Amino acid sequence: MATNFRSSLVVLSLAALASVGACKPKAAKQEDRTEILIGATLPLTGAEARIGGFFKEGYELAFDEVNQAGGLEVGGKKLPVKLSLNDDTSTQATAVSLADKLINRDKVDFLLGTYSTSLVEAQSTVAEQNKVPYVNGGGAASEIYKRGYKYIFGALSPVELLGGTLMSWIDEQQQAGKLGKPAKIALLWENTAHGKDFRKGVSDFVAKSAGGYELVIDESFELNGKDFSALLGKVKAAGAEIFLADAHLPDYITLHRQYIDAGLCHKVVSYGARGSEKAAIEALGSENASYVLSGVWWSAQLADSLPLAKKFVDAFKAKFGGRSPEWFQALGYESARALFTAIKQAGSLDREAVRAKLATLKMESLLPGGTLEFPADKGNEVQNLFVVQQNLPNQNAPIIYPKDVAKVAGIAPNPRCASTPTPTPTP
Amino acid sequence: MERLLDLALSAILLAGLYATMAYGLGLIYGTLRVVNLAHGGVIMAGAYLGWTLHEGFGVDPYLTIPVVAVAAFGLGVLMYQLLVRRLPRGPAGGPASLLLLFGVWLVLRNIAYLIFTGNDQTIRTAYSSRSLAILGSHVSVNRLVVLGIAVVIAVAMHVLLKHTQLGRAIRAVAQNADSCTLVGIDVNRIYTLTFGIGSALAGVAGVLLATLFSFSPNAGASELLKSFVVVVLGGLGSVFGISVAALIVATAEVFAILILPSYLTTAVGFLLLVLVLILRPGGLFGYRVLS
Repeated sequence: MATNFRSSLVVLSLAALASVGACKPKAAKQEDRTEILIGATLPLTGAEARIGGFFKEGYELAFDEVNQAGGLEVGGKKLPVKLSLNDDTSTQATAVSLADKLINRDKVDFLLGTYSTSLVEAQSTVAEQNKVPYVNGGGAASEIYKRGYKYIFGALSPVELLGGTLMSWIDEQQQAGKLGKPAKIALLWENTAHGKDFRKGVSDFVAKSAGGYELVIDESFELNGKDFSALLGKVKAAGAEIFLADAHLPDYITLHRQYIDAGLCHKVVSYGARGSEKAAIEALGSENASYVLSGVWWSAQLADSLPLAKKFVDAFKAKFGGRSPEWFQALGYESARALFTAIKQAGSLDREAVRAKLATLKMESLLPGGTLEFPADKGNEVQNLFVVQQNLPNQNAPIIYPKDVAKVAGIAPNPRCASTPTPTPTP
Repeated sequence: MERLLDLALSAILLAGLYATMAYGLGLIYGTLRVVNLAHGGVIMAGAYLGWTLHEGFGVDPYLTIPVVAVAAFGLGVLMYQLLVRRLPRGPAGGPASLLLLFGVWLVLRNIAYLIFTGNDQTIRTAYSSRSLAILGSHVSVNRLVVLGIAVVIAVAMHVLLKHTQLGRAIRAVAQNADSCTLVGIDVNRIYTLTFGIGSALAGVAGVLLATLFSFSPNAGASELLKSFVVVVLGGLGSVFGISVAALIVATAEVFAILILPSYLTTAVGFLLLVLVLILRPGGLFGYRVLS
C-alpha cells in the first residue's frame, strides 16, 4: 500500500513537472519572428478618456511611421511593429491586470505606458516584476522613479522642474525690477504626489534665493474641491504679489473662478501646467484667463526651433486632419520612438539588451532641449526643461521662456491688476 | 474683522449649496426609509441636462430648472416604479435598496460617459464671473442665486408638506404606511410621487452645481457624501433640520481654515457626523417626520 502510494506520488510529481514545462512560455526564436509585438494600455474610457485618446494618436503615428519605413531592423531583417492596445478604463486595478495579461498571455515583447501618475505607478510594478522594459510619457511624479526600478523609463520631466522653471522666469522679472524684493508668494498645491513635487520645486528655489522671495502661504488642498472661498480668503489676507497653484484641470477652473469672484489679482498668476487649455479659457472667459502662466512639457510652437518637433507637427497634422498636437500626443509619440530607437540599437528583441540600450540612450528629440536621455541617477526619468507660456487676451498662449525658444517677451506685472488693486495684508 | 465677515459670507453661501443638495435625499429617506444612493447620479444627470439645454439651445441655465426638474421627476418615478417598488418595505429592504440604487448610479454614470465622454464641462454665462460688493466683500452673483433658490426650495417644501393634501399624505405615510392603507391613502402613489419629488430636487441641485463648478460623469460622489452628512446631522426627515445642518456644516468647514490646513477642512463635516452619531443618533433636531 505504502509502495503504491509512493509510486503514485512520484508519477504525480513527474506529471506536475511535465505540465510546468509545457506551460512555460515558448518564445519564438528571433529569426522566426514576423513582427515585434508591443503592448500598452490607455484610459480610453472613464475619467481620463480624453487624454488617453490623445496618447493613442501619438502611439499610432509613431507605429505608422516605422511600419511605412518597412519596420525595425532586428537581427539583420526588418520587422513590422504591432501595437496591442487595451482600454484600462482609467482605473488602477484594470491597468494592472491588463499589463499582466499583455505580458503573460499575449506575450508582448515590450510595454508602452498608460496615462496618469497613479496608473503608471501601479502598472510599472507589473513590468518590473516580469522584467519587461516599460517606457511611458504619462507619469511625471518623481515618486514613481524613486523606487529603484530598473525597467521603467519616463519621458515626462518631473513636476519639480516645472516649479523651478516658472520661478526662473519670475526671477528674471524680479531682476528687471518688475516685482518687489523680497516678493511674497502664495503657494497652493493639490494634495497629491504631483502637487508635492510642484511645491518642492518652488520652495527649493525660494530657499536658494537668499531672501529674494518669501512664502507667505504654503497650503495644500483636496483634489476635486468644491469650495475654495475660505482658502482664497487666507490668500487675500496674506497680501502676496505672486500666486502659484498646482491643480488639475477641473480644480483650476473652479479655483480660478472663485479667485476672480473674490476680486483677487496678483502680479504673477500660474496654475502650474494648467492655463492654456482651450476648454479652460472657454470655461473662464479669455478676459479672466489672460496673463496666466503655464509650464508645459511640450508645445507645438517648438516646431519653429526644433527640426524633429516640426517633422512631428507636420506628420500629425497630415494624419489627423490638420489638427495641431498637444503635449499628450507628443509624449506618446516620443515614448514610442525612444523604445523603437533602443530596439534598433540593441538589434535584438532580448528584453535585457533593450533595457540596457534604454538606460544609455541619448537621442535627438522633439522635447525642449532637443535631446532625450533617461538619467540613471534620476531613476530613468528625463530631465528636459519645461516651456512657459502666457495666455494673452487674443486667446493665444505664446512661449515666453526659455529665451531660446520664446516667441514673445512675457508680461509682468499682470495688466489685469490695473483695474483690480493688489490685495493688501489684513491683520 | 473683515476676514471674519468674509468667512461668514462664505459659510452662508456654501450652506445654500449644501442644503439644495440634501433636500431630495432627506425627503426620500424621511418618507420611504430608503437611502437613495442614486442621488449623486441624478445630480450629475441634472447637471448634464442643464448643460445640454444651455449649450444646445442657448437657454439660460436658471431657466432650464423647470425642464430639468420635470425630467428628474420622471426619472425618479421610473426608478421607483421599475425598481424600488419591488423591494420589501421598511428595514427589510435596506441593504437591497442600497445595492440596487448604487447600481442605478453606476448605470447613470456610464451612460453619461457614453454620451458625453469623460471631458470636464462647465456652464458659462455672461454673468458667470460677476460679483457684487457686500460689506466690502466680493460675492459671486451665481452663489447668491444658488442661496436664493435654496431658500425658495425650503419654503416650497414647507408649504407642500404642511399646507397641501399631498403633503399631509406624505407625512402620514412617513409616520405609518400600514395605517394609511387602512384609511384609504394610496401608499404606492405617495411613495412614487415622493421619489419623483426627491429626484427632481436632486436634478435642480445638479443644474445649480453646474453653474458653479466644472463637472464630468464622475460628479455626484462628493455631493452624495456631503448631502448624507447634512441629512443625518439635521435629523432624518426634517426640512428645517436640513437647512440648519447645512449652515452648521458649512460654518464649521469654512471657519476651520483658521486653525486647520486647507486640505483637512472638508473632514470637519465628517467629524461632525461621527460626533452626532455617537452623541445624538437621531440628529441634532431628532426625527421629525418631515416637519
